[in-house]
Amino acid sequence: MDCADSNRTPNTGRTPDLSLIRTVGLTKRYVKVTALDSLDLELEPGIIGLVGANGAGKSTFIKLLLGLLAPTSGSGEVMGFDILRQGPELRQFVGYMPEHECLPTDISATEFVSHMAQISGLPRPAARERTAETLRHVGLFEERYREMRGYSAGMKQRVKLAQALVHDPRLVLLDEPTIGLDPEGRDEMLRLIRRIGAEFGIAVIVSSHLLSEIERICDHLVEIEDGRLVRSEPMAALTALTRILAIEVDGDNAPLAERLRRSGVTVNSSGRLLLVRKDDDALLDLVRDSVVDLELGLVRLEQSRRRLEELFGSQPALKEDESSSA
Amino acid sequence: MPEAATGSIYDLGYQRYAGVRLGRRHAIWALYVHSLRGVFGIGRSLGSKVGPIGLAVIALLPAIIQLGSASIAPEDVEFVRPEEYYDLIQIVLVLFCAVVAPDLLGRDQRTKTLSLYFSRALRREDYALAKFAALVTGMLAITIVPQVMMFIGNGLADDFGDHLQDNWTDLPSILGSAVELSCLVSGIGLLIAAQTPRRAYSTVGILAAFVLTSAVGAGVFEATDRNAGRWALLLSPLHLVQGLTRWFFDVAPEPGSELALADLPGETYAIAAAAIACMTLALLLRRYRKIPA
Repeated sequence: MDCADSNRTPNTGRTPDLSLIRTVGLTKRYVKVTALDSLDLELEPGIIGLVGANGAGKSTFIKLLLGLLAPTSGSGEVMGFDILRQGPELRQFVGYMPEHECLPTDISATEFVSHMAQISGLPRPAARERTAETLRHVGLFEERYREMRGYSAGMKQRVKLAQALVHDPRLVLLDEPTIGLDPEGRDEMLRLIRRIGAEFGIAVIVSSHLLSEIERICDHLVEIEDGRLVRSEPMAALTALTRILAIEVDGDNAPLAERLRRSGVTVNSSGRLLLVRKDDDALLDLVRDSVVDLELGLVRLEQSRRRLEELFGSQPALKEDESSSA
Repeated sequence: MPEAATGSIYDLGYQRYAGVRLGRRHAIWALYVHSLRGVFGIGRSLGSKVGPIGLAVIALLPAIIQLGSASIAPEDVEFVRPEEYYDLIQIVLVLFCAVVAPDLLGRDQRTKTLSLYFSRALRREDYALAKFAALVTGMLAITIVPQVMMFIGNGLADDFGDHLQDNWTDLPSILGSAVELSCLVSGIGLLIAAQTPRRAYSTVGILAAFVLTSAVGAGVFEATDRNAGRWALLLSPLHLVQGLTRWFFDVAPEPGSELALADLPGETYAIAAAAIACMTLALLLRRYRKIPA
């Protein structure tokens, strides 16, 4: 069965009724810990960021999708392939870049990547051709004929990415791809990942413990903490306008805060800024009138844009807003 | 694949792959070929070639000497008979396995490359099978080749047609004994090598598995009642190799040897060897189903 339908075209998620990834109650339990707890998730193709603290279950999730780990319970499909029963067929169309080092030291990048392409099912000539092309894409040039033992951290990350891309997968799973890179290497890696998703047309799932990285390149965010799904939302929703109004006045803002509170508005003071919940447009009038009455100069009145980092941070006003709008 | 091209309209570089994907069978084959090259250090540094190729050459030496002597004095010299060949090179066979098996399995464990294999178009068991097949093939090269060299050489020294007519039954014996021996030695070697990424440990472990069992088997046989003690020889792979080879060539063990004293039916060795080979392969597959990646 494995070989018979190995040329079956995977569902790339472009068909509207089929998703890129669908998991139902996906669970991985070890003797003492539950690494992933009953994950129900449905994702469409795109550049998907997977965030969470170290040990939150990101790597476990990726390994379950690849069949590197067997789930304790639950099921999952990737591009229409069952992750439990159709591993080899599915993995022809998937690329994986692990978090840890995974490269042999005593052969060259060219030989290794081309070997890996064949293990993904490509015939030898195609494997060689695509290896040269892929190594060029990740920015590895003359070094590619040298044994990998002398490679820098950055070069190794590039080879790891190349082996995940060489067979032209429909989906790549990148586990902490920027780990161990200097700031410049990090920027370059992120740019490359963005290109893979946006220009190469390959669906990307990229995990990171750094939100700022995910924010820069992803268009969908999945957050996992302690093995549980916290959120799965389009990035646009997460950076959209919030209902928080930021007010800055020329002079002491305490009287204004006092007056707004008396009118029943929740006010948080954040240095020069007053942050208030805007439940309807009447609030704008109230602020204007109050400022005029108190004879203050209005410097700023704007609806603040929720940035991801704030969401995960500890700003009281925003926390409150989040819980009430959830 | 027209839909696949949409993403790369503005991209001058990236090309989608529209060719065939050959799937699992091709992946296993590619891993087998890659591993077989690795057995002899092909495509690797000079240092990785020295051990296996050096040992392979030593394994051929008796055959070369036999051919040399046959060409000088065709009539009366038989330096080594085919059923005795592995007695002469048994330590070379064990060393070959002890050098190559840890490399075949330990390297990917050490460098954690296993997770890259297991996330591709094959199953965990396929990986173990491809490695097993590669080592068996490597061992066949150093067992069948010298035997066939001797067979042809002896024939050329004589009249080849007559030689073939008289001795053609040796050919299935050569093939059968070499295949069984290679599976037995490879199975044991790989099962031990699969337990640890540390090369030194598995090399020592493999040597011990052959040398110690041989000494213990012989010791138990000596020390106890022969009737019961002779079964201990079946736990020693090297005794099994001697026994199964003689059974394949249909030759009785030399009088006075342990095998002659034990006086077990010849097929006992072949059956025990097959059982151990199957068991080690099953355990190897089990190990790879569970090995962390």
